[in-house]
Amino acid sequence: MSDQSEPQKRPKEKFDFFQDQRVRSVFYQVMTAGLVGWLLLYLVNNTTENLQSRGMATGFDFMDISAGFSVDFKMIDYVAGIGTYTDIFIIGALNTLLISFFAIILSTIIGFFVGVLRLSDNWLVSKVALAYVEIFRNVPLLIQVVFWYIGVFSLLPAVKKTVDLSFGAERLLLNNRGLYMAWPVPGDLFWVTILAFVIAAVGAFIYSRRAHKLQDSSGEQTNVWLPSLAAIIILPLIAFFATGMPLEWDIPVLEGFNFVGGASVAPPFLALLVALSIYHAAHIAESVRAGILSVNRGQSDAAMGIGLKPSKVMSLVIIPQAMPAIVPPLISNWMNTVKNSSLAIAIGYPDIVSLFMQTSLNQVGHAVEIVGMTMIFYMLISLIISVILNIYNKRVQLVER
Amino acid sequence: MAIITKQKTPDRPAPLSETSVVGWLQKNLFSSVFNTALTLITIFIIYLTLSGVVVWGYLDATFVAEKRRECYDNSLTGACWAGVIAWLDNIFYGRYPREEIWRIDFGGLLLVAWMLPLWLSKVKGKILIGASVIVFYPFLAGYMFTGGDKGWFMQFMVTGAITAFVINMTNMLVGLLKNTSLDVFLMQLSGQADAGDKTQRNILLAMVATLFVAAFLWQASWNVTEVVWTKWGGLFLTLVIAGIGIASSMPLGIFLALGRRSKLPVVRVLSTGFIEIFRSVPLITVLFMATTMFPLFMPEGFVLNKLVQVIIAVILFNACYMAEIVRAGLQAIPKGQFEGAHTIGLGYWGTMGLIIMPQALKHMIPNIVGNIIGLLKDTTLVSIIGLFDILGMLRSISKDVPWVGLHKEPLIFGAMLFFIICFSMSKYSRHLEVKLSAGDKH
Repeated sequence: MSDQSEPQKRPKEKFDFFQDQRVRSVFYQVMTAGLVGWLLLYLVNNTTENLQSRGMATGFDFMDISAGFSVDFKMIDYVAGIGTYTDIFIIGALNTLLISFFAIILSTIIGFFVGVLRLSDNWLVSKVALAYVEIFRNVPLLIQVVFWYIGVFSLLPAVKKTVDLSFGAERLLLNNRGLYMAWPVPGDLFWVTILAFVIAAVGAFIYSRRAHKLQDSSGEQTNVWLPSLAAIIILPLIAFFATGMPLEWDIPVLEGFNFVGGASVAPPFLALLVALSIYHAAHIAESVRAGILSVNRGQSDAAMGIGLKPSKVMSLVIIPQAMPAIVPPLISNWMNTVKNSSLAIAIGYPDIVSLFMQTSLNQVGHAVEIVGMTMIFYMLISLIISVILNIYNKRVQLVER
Repeated sequence: MAIITKQKTPDRPAPLSETSVVGWLQKNLFSSVFNTALTLITIFIIYLTLSGVVVWGYLDATFVAEKRRECYDNSLTGACWAGVIAWLDNIFYGRYPREEIWRIDFGGLLLVAWMLPLWLSKVKGKILIGASVIVFYPFLAGYMFTGGDKGWFMQFMVTGAITAFVINMTNMLVGLLKNTSLDVFLMQLSGQADAGDKTQRNILLAMVATLFVAAFLWQASWNVTEVVWTKWGGLFLTLVIAGIGIASSMPLGIFLALGRRSKLPVVRVLSTGFIEIFRSVPLITVLFMATTMFPLFMPEGFVLNKLVQVIIAVILFNACYMAEIVRAGLQAIPKGQFEGAHTIGLGYWGTMGLIIMPQALKHMIPNIVGNIIGLLKDTTLVSIIGLFDILGMLRSISKDVPWVGLHKEPLIFGAMLFFIICFSMSKYSRHLEVKLSAGDKH
């Protein structure tokens, strides 16, 4: 305790080695670093010893070995026995990104829709939306994935009894082998149409910037949506017909026991897509609802007070203020969608985990390298997503002041 | 004109829309043409869904059958619940020996009895009760579930658990009947209520020691047979993994969170790195890491069984999420609290343990419950790496000869089970949140 008779002697003069904060801080840090370093060294030592005693190879040579198994859903050319494990890694990564991409889009659309329904004045509608959210949030995603696969998409009619979803046009066919779609094959001059589309889109963007500036300076409002939409639709259409409709449809045809041609996705893809979308939509709906509710009620009262229409109140006052509260949880939901797409392994959709981390690991060993690569893949994705989130947060903060 | 009257104007009746059913309907369901149409469409959709579910799941369903064929003979359009009913024991207990199932039930009941005083307002000493659950219950339950020969450590912990449980129960009874805590009551009983603190403490210690010795002698006289972990399964296994995962990730998460907020750069960087790595990868990759890499990490000849590998993976994974929850809770504490604690001379651990954590914990409760629910749901992933948890059991029904191909009904049953557990937990946490924040309202 302090020496009260000589108060001025207390500070600084006496250097107590054990009580000095800098010494302690250095000591604790060295101790932590030492402990962690020792643990890592221990694990690495054990691992190398184990690998040696089991005669297992290390290193990334295996990436050039050809993989002997076939993959039924792939976006790059790959033939079993010729393609390498590098190809397998790329196929798995692309498949993960593909399913995540579609699941994110679908779940965001459904989620916003349900989130708005949750706030409906209509009691029944809001309760139905609540039931949707509670049911799908409280059941494990894995059960849902397996259910959609085994309970729904595997029980679809057989190839002979294919369901035509395009009302007889044979452009969209569904059976227990998957969903078959007619796929557009662009002709030689199709680039003109795309160019027209790009020009129209850029024009619409510039036009809307102009309109905003005009409104900021003079308060005059111009209708942006209608002309932009018209330009974006009509210009490419004109180009398309002027170049002689350079687009053909690759239509799936029944050959033997299966459909050939067009594009197709297998039941696992559909099951995973539906399960992920519905599950994450329930979560997104909740954050949308919370975001809209976080806007002070006085805001909408005041907006109506200055005579805005209800639709304008929503689009000009509520939504812009709700977005900063909605977007961060929304983006973290997207990240969870990417991570949860790894449940593909339960139903045989060849994503990076099931293809690379399970099948390849069983074939070639190299546990450390394969697990490490897979984890780094996910880490990179979440890094990219969190960078996007940070940029957004910065922008929002600037606007908010 | 006299505007001021001395009589109070009688209250006008509430508008019809607030009191009558018709008014409520008109306001909430049929306020406009659009709303009416919306309501009717919704009612139609609800009718379609519900009628389909009721017909399939109840009216046309088969509840008693020997095999799946009999279900088909009964009705082709209904559910075959008979398969689920036949497998109920497996779904809940896995392949745990049937004559030993009472041990699992007993373990569950014990936990309920142990925690019961926490909900009774008259009982005193809740913090001690909560601590005793965390410190002692896992060992008693662990021994009940695994059985076999008690080592000296297990004997000691089981005795401690029994002692704690007996004290807890007497304390509850005393609290309910006499409205005091056990120690005060014992002092009154022995006529030492006015004696000095030291005498009282000695008497209590002697009592506890006697109880401990008695419990030790008693527990030495019985044993339960060993059940190897491979026989564990079903909901029991799910709850064991999730339970251990939650209980252990809580302290680990607190340390990681403190590390991440630490002023020491090395500690901060290490904690942050650890947290971010595990938070950015899916649980299934961590589980794969556990089953493929942990055997390599161990010294030669040392083999971890799969259950332990999985539990370690779950703890590491969940601790990182817990750490972020704790960190968010710590951030909600105003800086003045830290400064105040420093001013009255508390050091780092004193500040954290006595001032900050108790306040932060209150903010964290909803998130912690959310995390518990999430972990419980995520635990189903262990079925992918070959443990027969509840989902593993549900999926093996379709491979059982009499019930071949029975997929849908078990999955729906499992979904209902999880829904009941998770939904009631989240409802309870919301209730708790309201109850705890009642004091904050100004």
